[in-house]
Amino acid sequence: MASPYYQFTTTTTLLLLLVFYGGTFLMSLLVRQKNENVDGYMVSSGQVGFGISAASMTATWIWAASFYAAASSAYTYGLSGAIHYGFWGALMILFIYPFGQRFRKLAPNAHTLGELMHARHGSSSQLILALSNVLGSSISLMVNFTAAGAVVSILSPLSFVHGVVIAGIGTLAYTFWSGFRASILTDVAQLIALMGVAVIIIPWVMFSAGGPEVMAQGLERLTAEQADFFSTTAILEQGAPFFVAVLAYAIGNQTIAQRLFAVRQDLIKPTFLTATLGYGAVVIGLGMIGLMALLLGVQPDGGDLNNIIPQMASAYLPPFMIGLFFLLVVASLSSTADADLTALSAIMMTDVYAKNIAKGRADPRKMLLIGRLTMIVATMVGLILASFALDILVMLVFVGALWGTVVFPVIASCYWPRVTNSAFTWAVLGGMLLFTIVRFELLPMTGVIGLGFEMIAAVGAGVVAGLMCFGFFGRIAGLAAGLIATMVSAWYFAGFLNGYTVLLASLVAYGASTIICVALSLMSQEHFDFNLIAQRVQRFQEEDAQPAGNGPVAVPQPSPAE
Amino acid sequence: MTTFWLTFYILIWPALSALVLFVIVRGFFRDMLAAKRAGRDMV
Repeated sequence: MASPYYQFTTTTTLLLLLVFYGGTFLMSLLVRQKNENVDGYMVSSGQVGFGISAASMTATWIWAASFYAAASSAYTYGLSGAIHYGFWGALMILFIYPFGQRFRKLAPNAHTLGELMHARHGSSSQLILALSNVLGSSISLMVNFTAAGAVVSILSPLSFVHGVVIAGIGTLAYTFWSGFRASILTDVAQLIALMGVAVIIIPWVMFSAGGPEVMAQGLERLTAEQADFFSTTAILEQGAPFFVAVLAYAIGNQTIAQRLFAVRQDLIKPTFLTATLGYGAVVIGLGMIGLMALLLGVQPDGGDLNNIIPQMASAYLPPFMIGLFFLLVVASLSSTADADLTALSAIMMTDVYAKNIAKGRADPRKMLLIGRLTMIVATMVGLILASFALDILVMLVFVGALWGTVVFPVIASCYWPRVTNSAFTWAVLGGMLLFTIVRFELLPMTGVIGLGFEMIAAVGAGVVAGLMCFGFFGRIAGLAAGLIATMVSAWYFAGFLNGYTVLLASLVAYGASTIICVALSLMSQEHFDFNLIAQRVQRFQEEDAQPAGNGPVAVPQPSPAE
Repeated sequence: MTTFWLTFYILIWPALSALVLFVIVRGFFRDMLAAKRAGRDMV
């Protein structure tokens, strides 16, 4: 049986990869410095302009899985499917910026969100954030390297492992020396490639497949649910669980925090607004290829929905355009992978070494060494996980839950002076425990027990709505929205949500951690002075202070106890 | 859904992407010029 995919020759594939990774490597040489500044290695100057910041934020948020999943969602749920992936993902970028402005105001010199939590609470809450990011970024690396292996093995004679290894080494090569500075500069070129190609191939596929009339005829193939733009199935099975998951992902994620701490403070809002529009347009747009496949009656190869986009590209694009599509996939996965490498290195440098090992006496040279070694180890871990195609579903589920449980404690810690370290820690642990019970159905979700968990989930829904309103409209609006959403959800969820385990568990993670955090905070007498955070979070190295022969000059770091 | 609205629904996203791409590229060149004038690195 003939393959449904176009095949490049080995030489063409290697040339395309050489052009991409060679080009990004050469670009990284433009910002390379013999003696990298340790702060610059993690967050650049903290004064990065709008163009680079918006490009970097958009490119980082779009990974290969984004448009594969958007297309799968469109193919499964019809007209609204791509929206239920791309719109919610985009909304979360928008949702972060008011909180990002607060993080930046509290800790203008921070490198990681964990560092901010260390200054606010101490080690345990910081290390919870660090752990969630180490797991999350390792998984993300694996997923992106896997995507490289998949696209290389589908479109060329090279094997899956060849693709994985080339992507891993290529990404490491241009990120290794200059870290975050190389990551955000190369993001500009990667985003231009990614968006430029997306702009061309979406209409190209449409007209090449027969144009508007043929697409409209395909509407007859849709089921009633697929043809309904407000499909309840699409909302409950795709939109709502993804919305809840991606909210958690956005708040605790170091790749985003790093960009928040790098952009010039007054440019946070335009940067995130632009990234919201850019992400939404590209991901929903590429998701339209899945809708077109549905309208044309295309069957995914081997029943795997991830094959839809390469199949459609092979069927309806000329070879040159398939080459551009190949670069689109490589650009999207590389921009996210390099962000994960720099996030992991910043976490090991700041959260592990500087704050918990050196304890205020961090040596900038040692920090750089740790950062670079972290990148090598992380790449190797990503390559091994991807090459052996290990089953990481359980790990993925736990990381998602961990992020869900940190959302409220992190945000509350930045606004409410009564939140304590133990309230933060117990909120996360309690949330994780209840999440595990629901997600793995350790108790029957029926009767009083089921109703109890549904009520906790209703609080979780209230927290999501309340926090979103709080970020944009302030405390009163946030509290009102949270209360109304909780009451409406409680009425709607009772006896109903236990049929949707994934959504129930995710909302329980939010709800339980919030209830515990609020209860313990109300019992405390703490009244934290937020001005202390800026005093405790300092740069690690004096700017341009490298006397000959003496090496970089470290800045003394105050500890939370001081 | 009519043919017009289906076409609009599919093609509005690449059009929006092109607009955002233009804004970002323009911003990048402005960053580059500002850094050059100030005699500092862009990143």
